[in-house]
Amino acid sequence: MDPEIGNFETEMNRGFLQILVLALLEKDMYGYAMVRTIRDLEYEVEENTLYPLLRRLEKNGWVKSKWDVSEDRPRKFYGITDEGRSLRTELLGIWRKQDQILRQLTEEKNHV
Amino acid sequence: MFEKLEAYIEEISHFLSGRQEREEILSEIRSHILEKAEQEYGQASEVSLGEVIAAYGPARRVAEKYLDGRPVIAPVYHRYLFRYTALLFLFHFVLTVVAVVFKKSFLMFPILYVPSMGPFEALFYLPTAFLFDLGAVTLILYLITQSKKDVKLPWPKFSIDIDEVKPSGRTIGRIIGLIAMMALTTVAIYFYVRYRTIFFVNFNLPQRRPIFTPGAGQWFSLILIGLWAISTISLAIKLVASSPWVDAVEKALSLVLIGLAFRQPFETAFAVPLSESLVRTFKLGLTITLLVICVFVASDLIKALIRIGRKRLAK
Repeated sequence: MDPEIGNFETEMNRGFLQILVLALLEKDMYGYAMVRTIRDLEYEVEENTLYPLLRRLEKNGWVKSKWDVSEDRPRKFYGITDEGRSLRTELLGIWRKQDQILRQLTEEKNHV
Repeated sequence: MFEKLEAYIEEISHFLSGRQEREEILSEIRSHILEKAEQEYGQASEVSLGEVIAAYGPARRVAEKYLDGRPVIAPVYHRYLFRYTALLFLFHFVLTVVAVVFKKSFLMFPILYVPSMGPFEALFYLPTAFLFDLGAVTLILYLITQSKKDVKLPWPKFSIDIDEVKPSGRTIGRIIGLIAMMALTTVAIYFYVRYRTIFFVNFNLPQRRPIFTPGAGQWFSLILIGLWAISTISLAIKLVASSPWVDAVEKALSLVLIGLAFRQPFETAFAVPLSESLVRTFKLGLTITLLVICVFVASDLIKALIRIGRKRLAK
């Protein structure tokens, strides 16, 4: 991939990943399970990006976490909060609006 | 306990701050790496962990993603770092010149102390003063950045914006200057090699009369030849390469050489008989001339340092 496109993709992923995580966490999940789920959706997320993002979302009160130590390996489970749901609704609204604008523009161009 | 994993976790830990937060971050990374190794490679071993760790990324990059990325100095204040440092250093420089000429010391607790000093000591004092000024301005801008407030910093309107300081001189001018300086330096070296001085009362060389005593004549001649040689070399380099470092080194060396001129006792330097009052007048005139030259050279040095700093920031 062109390194310049790679940079654009990183920029675009930043916002997308936040919506994606907030959408995923309707059901409580731990980090590795989230990576696998996202991969099953044919999308890639860098593990070292996901955890700091979860931490920032948690600091802002949009997700909550708790350690599960019932199994051999302790796992930190994350779930969305009510504030997180409100944020997700707003972000999805913005994303739909952006998508609509881009569709409109690209379709107009195709017709020209 | 897996050595590779623990070494990796320890390396990440080195870059993180906040004990409790760090422990939690590290536990989560450890848990993730072990689980991935088991799920994707069948079991956690030194080999499988090595693969998973390599995919997770270098420790420093991992740690950096947990930091909020707030800069030490916000980009909008970068230009003020050099503006204020230049202004503060100019103030410092003027006080230093006054301290040297009038043998006075200045104390503005706790930000400024300029002791009474000789010209030679001043040359060593000024770089320290510059670093202090840079540090003081950096600290203030750091505190403003951390406060997250929109502080509008004042800056007087100058006819020439210090940000617009550009290297001066055109190629043709430089070539003419270089030829002139080479000729001057060569003639001076010729005279010095032949007569051990370049300062004469008359130009009738068979009956030449040096202005200064042999020791003082050699000292002043070497300093002047040194200044011309530095200027010549600098002009030659600037013809083929443009770098503010050339100006900075040239001006710094020139300041050192001018400072060395003050080391020669002036009263006993003359080989020709002069009245005491005339020597005093000469000394005062020369001191003022050299200090004025110092101000111009130091000003050029500051401009060159600003250009170096701006280039580094741009990078």
